[in-house]
Amino acid sequence: MSPREWLAVLMFGAFILGILTGFPVAWVLGGSALVFTAIALLLERDFGVETGIDWAYTSLVGDRIFDLMDNWVLVALPMFVLMGLLLDRSGIAAELLREVSRLFGRVRGGLAVSIALIGVLLAASTGIIGASVVMLALLGLPPMKRAGYAATYATGTVCAIGTLGILIPPSIMLVLMADRLAISVGDLYLGAILPGLLLAALYIAYLLALPALRPTIAPASSRPEIVDLELILAVFRKVVPTALLIFAVLGSSFFGIATPTEASGVGAAGALLLAASRRRLTVPILREVLRETTLTTGYLFGIFVGATAFALVLRGLGGDELIARGLSGLPFGPNGVVLSILFATFLLGFVLDWIEITFIVLPLVAPVVVSLGFDLVWFTVLFAVCLQTSFLTPPVGFALFYAKGVAPDVDVRTLYVGILPFVALQLVALTLIFLWPELATELPARAYGR
Amino acid sequence: MSRPGPPMAAEPGPSPAPVERTLDRLVSAASWIWLLLVGVIVAGVGLRTFFAISRIELEELQWHLYAVGFLVGILGCVLHDRHVRVDVFREGMSQRRRDWVDLYGLLLLQLPFIALVLWSGIPLVAESFASGERSGSAGGLSHRWLLKSALPIVFALLLLASLARTRAIARRLFAPPVADAAAASDADEASATPTADPAPGEPPDAAG
Repeated sequence: MSPREWLAVLMFGAFILGILTGFPVAWVLGGSALVFTAIALLLERDFGVETGIDWAYTSLVGDRIFDLMDNWVLVALPMFVLMGLLLDRSGIAAELLREVSRLFGRVRGGLAVSIALIGVLLAASTGIIGASVVMLALLGLPPMKRAGYAATYATGTVCAIGTLGILIPPSIMLVLMADRLAISVGDLYLGAILPGLLLAALYIAYLLALPALRPTIAPASSRPEIVDLELILAVFRKVVPTALLIFAVLGSSFFGIATPTEASGVGAAGALLLAASRRRLTVPILREVLRETTLTTGYLFGIFVGATAFALVLRGLGGDELIARGLSGLPFGPNGVVLSILFATFLLGFVLDWIEITFIVLPLVAPVVVSLGFDLVWFTVLFAVCLQTSFLTPPVGFALFYAKGVAPDVDVRTLYVGILPFVALQLVALTLIFLWPELATELPARAYGR
Repeated sequence: MSRPGPPMAAEPGPSPAPVERTLDRLVSAASWIWLLLVGVIVAGVGLRTFFAISRIELEELQWHLYAVGFLVGILGCVLHDRHVRVDVFREGMSQRRRDWVDLYGLLLLQLPFIALVLWSGIPLVAESFASGERSGSAGGLSHRWLLKSALPIVFALLLLASLARTRAIARRLFAPPVADAAAASDADEASATPTADPAPGEPPDAAG
């Protein structure tokens, strides 16, 4: 390794140490870009070390931020956030949860399944794992506790669903990944459908199977309503408008009728109408939701801006060639290389949220994977599911940390016991996607007749 | 492990400086931009679907609005301490230690980075203005420098907000505990985790 590549490795290490101090990730990223440019310049001037970057290079940061500013695809992000926040703050989400769980009154674990169905939709309002787990825990833990569900089961559900929601469209993560890799968001959405549904199906099967085997884990409602046609119709009347909205938004971008940006804007407009039609759209709520959209967008884009600067300097120091050389030098075949990348990603997921990984790591490894002849949509889906697994894995997964934060009375052991089955399910899904790439590639291929 | 702060808006420090309050009002006012953006997107979709009209201006207006919105959001997150932190270790730190981390971070990372963006952004805006840069697509918007100038403008405000924050933290760390300030900090510490009482003239590295 040349000295400048050592500097690249050092920069990455310094960044990890930096964020562990608890200083905001956005500024650690941006600041280390600056600090390491200064170090590189010093080395070059005083020690004659060839580093390949200078201030003119690092000042490209301005151009890179302009690139973020005139990025039409990413307009979808704040719109998805707005849509999710509207559903949450107007009480529509809680109402949905109440209504759907009425249908499952007699089913053990029914409440958990309802939370799974609704949580996946709401995750879009937060964008990052920590926040979506917190939101779901606040929404879902109290009713599950009242219903007498075991703490392991309830917390496991909340963590796993909060994490799955980041993957399943409308997914902010997939939009950003597609943007960074210059592939179509529609393709990636389509590619993620089957794996996402597979995971959701595995989760729901588990949520129903465990209480069936051990009834004390999740008792059925003590006073179940009789599920007759009348109840079903009553529930449907309440659920259908919201469900239609969601399907319209997702459907239009899946099938290429609308771009994700258009779909997100129409979705936000639909959520506004829904809230208004239920007389929940008061001016104070609207003002708060809009403000909260600004702040959520702000913390997401703060990291985008910092990570852009960081990735720029890391590349300038030869980080990309280093990764490419390192990966092609691995003594395994192409599959082994992909597995090594996934394993490294899994480890990185313990310290970094998906945004940093998408900006810094994904663009470095993707060209290598493509050069080995793999499908980029397949790899990205695999990468995303792998990250998700990482966020759930004890002892350091993000999701657990946050669940612990909002449910302080739950002890760590309970959390771990609750989450392990979900980690196992994740590994099953990961293996299936790896062995049958068609899960991710079939739908995009069909949709475009390739 | 990273977290965007409490789900609801956390208020800025105990007593936000007037400049922070003014900036915060700006953030609130700018938040209406999202409603406008929804309107523009819906108008664009409507025109395309029902009248088969594609207006490139509307499409470009969308990312103009979004760009201003997210930049203001970055400012808002500084004011409300909402930027994502990894708080595994921060949780166990005393308030004083957290302040030290923030002070060093602000001085070594945050403020220099904001300065870098200003330094690299301002010439680009000037260049765009001088050359009368406009959208590359036919029928696109002109006056590109207006959009570009949002970056240095918001980052200048960001510099202001970060300086205000630095000042507040430095004050907490270095202020001699005069009568009423001491009473206030005593009240704080009664409810929070006990921290080493800052003695007057304590050397700065005692806690850091």
